[in-house]
Amino acid sequence: MTAAIFDGIVIGLRFGLLAAGLTLVYGLGGVLLLAYGQVTVISAVVIIFAMDAGIPALPAVGLALVAGGFMGLVLDLTILRPVYRRHGEARVLLSLLLTLGVAFIVDGFLNWRYPLLGLTLRIGGGPIEIIGVRMPRGSVVASAIAIVAMVGLLSFFRWTTLGRAARSVIEDQEGARLVGIDPHRMLRLILVLSGVLAALVAATQAMVRLIDVRSGFELTVFALIVTVVGGLGSVTGALLAGIILGIIYAIALTYIGTSLSLIILLAAAAITIVIRPAGLLGVRE
Amino acid sequence: MTDRFTEATGTSVIGGVERRASRSLWRLVGPVLALGAVLALVPLRLGDSRVQMGVAVVGLAFACYTIGFNLIFGSTGQLFLCAGALAGIGGYGAAILADEVGLPIPVSILLATLVATLTGALLSWIAVRRSLGVIFTGIVTLIFTLSFANLLLGLGNLTGGESGFLIESGGDSFLRRQIPPYYVMLVIVLGCLLAHGLLRRSHAGWAFRALRDDEVAAELAGVDVARYRVYAAGIGSAMLGLTGAVYALTEGRVSPTTFGFAEVDVVVVVMLAFGGIGSLYGPILGAAVFTVVDELFVDLGQLRLMAYGALVIMLFLWVPKGVIPTLSGLWRRRAGRVSPRRGGSPG
Amino acid sequence: MMLEVRGLAAGYAGGDVVHAVDFHVEAGEAVMIIGSNGAGKTTLFRSVIGLLTPSAGTVEFEGNDITGMAAHRVVRLGISFVPAERHLFPRMTVEENLALGAYPGRPDAETTSVVMDLFPRLAERRRQPAATMSGGEQQMLAMGRALMARPRLLVLDEPTTGLAPKLAAEAYQALGLLKEGGLTVLVAEQQVPLAMALSDRGYVLENGAIRKEGTSAELASDPDVRHAYLGVL
Repeated sequence: MTAAIFDGIVIGLRFGLLAAGLTLVYGLGGVLLLAYGQVTVISAVVIIFAMDAGIPALPAVGLALVAGGFMGLVLDLTILRPVYRRHGEARVLLSLLLTLGVAFIVDGFLNWRYPLLGLTLRIGGGPIEIIGVRMPRGSVVASAIAIVAMVGLLSFFRWTTLGRAARSVIEDQEGARLVGIDPHRMLRLILVLSGVLAALVAATQAMVRLIDVRSGFELTVFALIVTVVGGLGSVTGALLAGIILGIIYAIALTYIGTSLSLIILLAAAAITIVIRPAGLLGVRE
Repeated sequence: MTDRFTEATGTSVIGGVERRASRSLWRLVGPVLALGAVLALVPLRLGDSRVQMGVAVVGLAFACYTIGFNLIFGSTGQLFLCAGALAGIGGYGAAILADEVGLPIPVSILLATLVATLTGALLSWIAVRRSLGVIFTGIVTLIFTLSFANLLLGLGNLTGGESGFLIESGGDSFLRRQIPPYYVMLVIVLGCLLAHGLLRRSHAGWAFRALRDDEVAAELAGVDVARYRVYAAGIGSAMLGLTGAVYALTEGRVSPTTFGFAEVDVVVVVMLAFGGIGSLYGPILGAAVFTVVDELFVDLGQLRLMAYGALVIMLFLWVPKGVIPTLSGLWRRRAGRVSPRRGGSPG
Repeated sequence: MMLEVRGLAAGYAGGDVVHAVDFHVEAGEAVMIIGSNGAGKTTLFRSVIGLLTPSAGTVEFEGNDITGMAAHRVVRLGISFVPAERHLFPRMTVEENLALGAYPGRPDAETTSVVMDLFPRLAERRRQPAATMSGGEQQMLAMGRALMARPRLLVLDEPTTGLAPKLAAEAYQALGLLKEGGLTVLVAEQQVPLAMALSDRGYVLENGAIRKEGTSAELASDPDVRHAYLGVL
């Protein structure tokens, strides 16, 4: 049982981090990035190509982080431009549809050109024991990285001027403008940050499990579900929801098969959304 | 108010509406029958090729799916990202009821359609009760789609899991032959069109328009928003379920990819967006165009997905209202310029 | 002239709400714009501050043309705006709200203590989320946040909305102190007596146009103004 909980935490941390990226972009910019899973996948592809070219793992991951941030910037400068001209629900819908189109294009291209590409990052050394449970070293390292990233993220938003400025845009966009904050520049910054987070998740996932060119939509959908359960716009909510849902899934998995466990997970998510649409710690309506 | 209008203009509003109503019934039925007559000729051209007839049947099925989705999303703004799953309830339901439970085919179809209808209505009811906005409805229905897909995999004994199963029932009936399925599907398409058209002309149609424009105002005007949403969802789901059921039985087999998200929902959204969300004949246009387009792409494998992606982007950027509403908008503006006297009605 | 607005017209999708408005504010003055609901005061202020793009006219601040400049840039030039809806950051604390008022700089201790002295209730509730405070306290927080940027011109849109008379008077007391300290104030008000006591000059806005202007004394003795805004028959 404890092993299941730990497994759940490992999964949960990863999806929590991914959901954090999605929720930030939604909370700040009212935009739903359905191409987020693809950003993760492309980051993994960057690592693959870098390592194939002889670059060692760590710098390759660094390169992917830069690539991820860059992809966030590209999204801001290209496909999101027409989206910014709309507001409210129209903006969400258009962002949803356009980024979905981008997701199709990326997925289609990758699956056509590099259908067999996949990435695993094996962390040397045997399993690590934590409170009597033996966990694969990769899972532990991945989770440690995720925790560090989360603490860093939350600290950034809590303690730094820039982070607070970003939060203020989520809280009240007009109020933010009145204190001299440019919501658009803030959104651009957050998009870059989300891109970096996506790349980080690509790396940490590769430490636990294979990530391949087909993972895109699965990642997006699960990140989206975690985001909604956690509350759109709340990073803490996303992290919390990720861990809770991860644990539920892992526990179900020890007793039932994959498909039915997924259904339980989905049902838990659906019930939470229906009972409390604002999510666990939701900010935006 | 009616009295003052009558006094002022000397015309009787009530009589005018009645006369307009019966005239407009022909304006609906006429074109639908004409369309049906035209489409009925298709097998004369393609009837020899089993493959091409198969594609034609798929095209008609998608037209029905799109009409159903149009009713749910276009008329009442409910983003049901579970069209495939609802059709799948019809398809798998009918197949299982016919094969495993041994019910006669018409009964199986009916029951499966009923389940789909109730499911759709239930989803809508939940969304309405919890005041879930468009995005949340989309996410909840997406979760339903995923759950359904996993259910199909999880209950492998019943559903054949990933590879699905071959349907024995009706194997030697007319449903499996080359041409009759086309006409069966055609009847369903025409039926769906008529149903949608009649709804639009009815009090329900007025309610749909009102609640799409401004829900709060509609509520204040006495429109029971909840009830009409659930009605629309129910009827649309019935269309989806019925089509799924009939399609499965004419194909002779079901598998998860017959009713998957990427295979059905995505395509339906593109078809509807192209044809025109909310327009009556938009789904027909969209289905026709994209069935042909899809056939052209079928050899391209994954490039097909890329092409769809590019299409989605271009559609929603440049022709967001869809072809038919954009064209009729242009047409109306043209007509307006020709006879400037025709202004809008007062109030 | 600190702020000069000429021929300003602005509105929304349906059309202009404000037409050909001229007014100005000299440094050190307090100027009021009075008018009833729907007169266009909010639209006017929003188009001056950059939350709305004017359809015509010019706005000059300290000699620089700021017409149509985005709000987040305008407020960095020395103008602060307190909108009618306040637009505080609800889940952030009083302290965080105030700190952001100084953006992009960090809040300096001196300004913070000045604001806290001016509004002692804020000091008491430093760590409280803004959403949990009463209407009056929120108004003070909004004003305090605006002051954190050390503006030379403070613009307020109906600062007494929803405030009990005692709190409204306190707010204007604070404004009076600030004015004495050299702050230029531009305020839009429906509750005219309070604004009149503070202001040197005023304008009457009706249906989107300036109908009257004059010193406070002149306006106070104008029969139309007395009738419409001071409740005198």
